[in-house]
Amino acid sequence: MTMTPSTVEDVREAVVGASGTLLIAGAGTAADWGAPAAPADTTIDTTGLTGVLRYNPADMTIAVRAGTPLAEIQRELAEHGQRVALDPARAGQGATIGGLLATADAGPLRTGYGSLRDLVIGATVVLADGTVARSGGHVIKNVAGYDLAKLFHGSLGTLGVIAELVLRLHPVPRAEATVSAACSAEDGFAVANRIIAAGLEAAALEWCAEPGRLLVRLEGTAEGVAERARAVCALADARVLTADEADQEWAAVAAIAVGDPGATVLRIGTLPSAAPRALGTILAAGASVTSSVPVGVHTVLTRAPGELLPVLHHEFGAAVTVLRRGGLDPSSAWGPPPPAVRVMRAVKRRFDPDDRFGAGRFAGWLDEEERAS
Amino acid sequence: MNSAEFVAALGADSVLADPVELRAYECDGLTGFRVVPSLVLLPRTAEAVADAVRICAREGIPFVARGAGTGLSGGALPVADGVVISLQRLRSVVEIDPVNRRAVVEPGVTNLDISRAAAPYGLYFAPDPSSQQVCTIGGNIAENSGGAHCLKYGFTVHHVHSIDVVLPDGTTTVLGGDSPHLGGYDLLGAFIGSEGTLGIATRITVKLLAKPAAVRTLVADFPSIEKAGDTVTAMIAAGIVPAAVEMMDAVAIEAVEAAVSAGYSRDTAAALIIELDGPAAEVTTQFAEVERLCQDHDATKVRIAADERERALVWKGRKAAFAAVGRISPNYIVQDGVVPRTSLATALARIGEMAAAAGLRVSNVFHAGDGNLHPLVLYGDAAGELERAEELSRSIAELCVDLGGSLSGEHGIGTDKACSMPRQFSEDDLATMARLRAAYDPDGICNPGKVLPTPRLCGEKPGVYRPHPLEAAGVIDRI
Repeated sequence: MTMTPSTVEDVREAVVGASGTLLIAGAGTAADWGAPAAPADTTIDTTGLTGVLRYNPADMTIAVRAGTPLAEIQRELAEHGQRVALDPARAGQGATIGGLLATADAGPLRTGYGSLRDLVIGATVVLADGTVARSGGHVIKNVAGYDLAKLFHGSLGTLGVIAELVLRLHPVPRAEATVSAACSAEDGFAVANRIIAAGLEAAALEWCAEPGRLLVRLEGTAEGVAERARAVCALADARVLTADEADQEWAAVAAIAVGDPGATVLRIGTLPSAAPRALGTILAAGASVTSSVPVGVHTVLTRAPGELLPVLHHEFGAAVTVLRRGGLDPSSAWGPPPPAVRVMRAVKRRFDPDDRFGAGRFAGWLDEEERAS
Repeated sequence: MNSAEFVAALGADSVLADPVELRAYECDGLTGFRVVPSLVLLPRTAEAVADAVRICAREGIPFVARGAGTGLSGGALPVADGVVISLQRLRSVVEIDPVNRRAVVEPGVTNLDISRAAAPYGLYFAPDPSSQQVCTIGGNIAENSGGAHCLKYGFTVHHVHSIDVVLPDGTTTVLGGDSPHLGGYDLLGAFIGSEGTLGIATRITVKLLAKPAAVRTLVADFPSIEKAGDTVTAMIAAGIVPAAVEMMDAVAIEAVEAAVSAGYSRDTAAALIIELDGPAAEVTTQFAEVERLCQDHDATKVRIAADERERALVWKGRKAAFAAVGRISPNYIVQDGVVPRTSLATALARIGEMAAAAGLRVSNVFHAGDGNLHPLVLYGDAAGELERAEELSRSIAELCVDLGGSLSGEHGIGTDKACSMPRQFSEDDLATMARLRAAYDPDGICNPGKVLPTPRLCGEKPGVYRPHPLEAAGVIDRI
């Protein structure tokens, strides 16, 4: 059965009214993330849970229902010269803001602005027993109470339904430019560090392969961006792209994260300085890659995951996430759990003691010995 | 309490049991609440912290972690039948990694010492609470500390990669990782700002930033707080994100000038400190724009810091503001409420009315960019104004909630505001927060009585202030 709630109260009624297991589905752009969800008795479809609840541009915050597509929020904000400083590839496919929080997704702007965990300032969630809980609020600066939104960042629908979110906003920059510097992965890391050390405040520093190049995205005033672009060109073998060229480059970066039906897409976190070696391994396996160099987050598209994934799991453990399974054996989606998996299980037990939400998404991580005991 | 087990595990020189020595730990920066702990432990290593917590877990002894004790909400207030675990001896900067721009530090390292250690590499640690010379990184993590520059740079939670934690059962784990990407729930994010109730951080990897290429600072005087507020609104509407925007009213300026002579105008109704930083070309362009916006909003004087010395003086005045108020009032209470920025004028007008009705003075020093108010309620204890001041202070915090804001922007809930939490959160909200806490600390021994209201602390009716039994008995009191 599928329920399509349109308000928090509807969500609560759906959760309380249904018996058995629940699967939360948004726009479906990340249905393939992690391990496959087990078949559930009821699907809670959040695509009707949409709309802006409160937006006062002068406060630079917005409250929305969590099923609202990010692209739709961005359109509304753009009219007021504002934005959510987040550019995940899935936004173009209609990904919802709640789904983006549940998957901890982000795009190249993660270098300058972080991911949704850094932009969400309030959340309303519905737990398995129908409890409606709110944390944070409508103000950017707020330390009252625990920040429940953080728990739901990366929760893949296993803790409860994200029903409403409050986001902090940033101004749409008056000007922007992308500079492309031809370089190997190793040099890309060095060039990125030089740009950072020079205080040029790049919003994105993305290294791409085939051919190797570092894309430097600058945002600011027209004069400022022009001068900073010149400064980047002085630090590397680089040139400023035309607006069309820049659009194409960033679309190519997004295409890797989205993948295509036959492909497997992975995301890997490493120490930034470990990137050149990790990228070497990935490229040697014939995969495509795009890398947010300064933060050490790499997105990989491969058609031979059976060989590459075990190597990456061995080296990077829980910092490897499957974004698209493609031909991958579903049972191998997750590698070793993070060190704090015991705490993760304890949180899961407190929030969803009957295991109603998202069974299977974390495969063995959530249901090992301690859950059985 | 029998100290033998702790002495056996940590060594006699790491256990304080002498009542005179214990007194030094009876409160933090919120000095109105005082409880003498049974023991104070001073472990030298992360292993010793875990040993101590294991004993606490086994014996059911409540424990309270403590850094420098500068917190302003009673977050490190001891528990009478419990121990204080001081992290003051874990104060080594383990590593500066300039290539990955991060530092590995122990929890007792002061906020400013991280930036000092990073300075030779052109790097610094961005969160800058006013107490940064003495407050510790462990405390910053507990409180999710901000500071004047958090408008642009965010809070402690945005600047930590990973933490080694001793959990309340005495086991250890690591939250976070080498990069922001790690499978599973963001347990690191949930831990930061948990006010010492989920465990003890024993080793922290923080993010370091490259020093900005340019910094420009000005102080602008305005004929009214409203005009100053409008300037901030105009700046934000223009898409400018300043590194910091601070406002001070006439009472605060009077106090600061009396204390440190920072060169603020004594005859102005309000002053804004505006700082921009970033790439030189951006700062130059936007700073000119900010100056123009100040003039457009009837600024009576704009003083631009000519050099680093003048800039430091401007900030010295702002950072000394709380202490300086001691010059003009025998006692004061610091509030920390937040309102949506667009409600600033309403909030300040209401605070003014409430102060007048209470017959007390309120001085306003605040982070104008993010709506974080720091009203200082001035009173004289000797004049018998304490009760009125307390009432006014609580009303101001609750006014912030009613205007859609928060009880606390950076000082934390701690002991001080736990009983006001039901004003901001429903019973279900609080019960859900309690689930998170119980996931980490099922036995409730880790900094008990803080953050969430308890019947013992607040009386059976949540939301209504009742004196604590110890308060009624005269054992503790509120300033």
